[in-house]
Amino acid sequence: MAELTLMLRLRVLARSLAIQGSWNFRTMLGAGTAFALIPLLSSLFKGEREALARAVGRHAGFFNAHPYMASVAIGALARMEFEAADQEEIQRFRNVLVGPLGSLGDRLVWARWRPLCSIFAVLLVATGAVWWVAAGLFLLLYNSAHLSLRAWGLGLGWREGRRVGAALRASPLRRLPDRLTIPLAVISGLLLPPLALAIGEGSGVEPISLIGISLILAAAGYWRPATVGRAAALILVLGSLVMIVLANAA
Amino acid sequence: MPILLYRVDDRLIHGQVVVGWGAQLQIDYIAVVDDELAASDWEQDLYRAGLPDTLEGRFLTVERAVEAIPIWQENPKERGIVLTRDIATVCQLAESGVLQGQEINIGGLHDAPGRRRILTYVFLGDDDRRELIRLGKTGVRVSARDVPNARAVELDQLLKS
Repeated sequence: MAELTLMLRLRVLARSLAIQGSWNFRTMLGAGTAFALIPLLSSLFKGEREALARAVGRHAGFFNAHPYMASVAIGALARMEFEAADQEEIQRFRNVLVGPLGSLGDRLVWARWRPLCSIFAVLLVATGAVWWVAAGLFLLLYNSAHLSLRAWGLGLGWREGRRVGAALRASPLRRLPDRLTIPLAVISGLLLPPLALAIGEGSGVEPISLIGISLILAAAGYWRPATVGRAAALILVLGSLVMIVLANAA
Repeated sequence: MPILLYRVDDRLIHGQVVVGWGAQLQIDYIAVVDDELAASDWEQDLYRAGLPDTLEGRFLTVERAVEAIPIWQENPKERGIVLTRDIATVCQLAESGVLQGQEINIGGLHDAPGRRRILTYVFLGDDDRRELIRLGKTGVRVSARDVPNARAVELDQLLKS
């Protein structure tokens, strides 16, 4: 069995960063996935140009997933190619991956991790941190998980091949979106008062009462995550608009 | 209204369905009607991997679905979505009479050989068109919409373009 060397791993991961580079409504992530698979496929079909071209073509058709979770598909599909699995089976497997990898990634990254990191950064600014420190921390925090997720997914896909579904169900990742619901609502609750203060600067509210309101909202976030989450999203959007308008007016 | 959405989507359980429709409709289960999938454990494993603990995945053959859907429709305690991968499957359900008066949502049919782009998320071939016409004659309303906040495109408009 071929080995997924560190060099190969890095080359595939680097290419996977461009997975949405040729995004379109017809094939979505298809071409990007084929592009990321090329280092693996060319080590499999070494010296067989025709076979390599056919293999790349097979993987360039319609495919979709969350862009980070697509690493799982890249690993698993490469594994099946290396095992010389039946082409019909590979295609079927590829079609099945679309939904679950999209759902898991959308829930984890778009609906939880990205808002969590963004709100954390805004909270830092609202409580007095220098903007570039907050922005830097956001990029560091968000991307350390983002890049780890890609690397982990590639390894998992390669290790498990066609059994990757059972592995994903057993992995802690599946429960992670639900686990992040409360932290997200709590941090949203914490943020609202300082943000309100930052927007209405100099309104004469005592900072100490704000801390009290912050804690109450954070507790509300713990008990009613969905309600606080929705309220916070609305206020963040409106608040940002107000801030932009005020900044332009001043 | 305990089944809140009947949807045709070749990606079946994915982000738009779980995060988009699922959150909006506050559902308890997603039922996939597909003969092949109902017989394949590893595929069901994968689809379940995309679901939160609060959402149950159900996988049924058409035959089982024809029995289950009327019961689910009458159950006020559970809210759910019914998914099929293609128009042919939902047509079978509709022709059995269990979808009478319901609205069928065309949520995603993607590019394949012989298909032409109608909307960004709907590609239709000649067979698909024939099946859509057949579906429209079974006493259901048909419209296309990918996510809850998007504009619905009615059946006659889908067939016109």
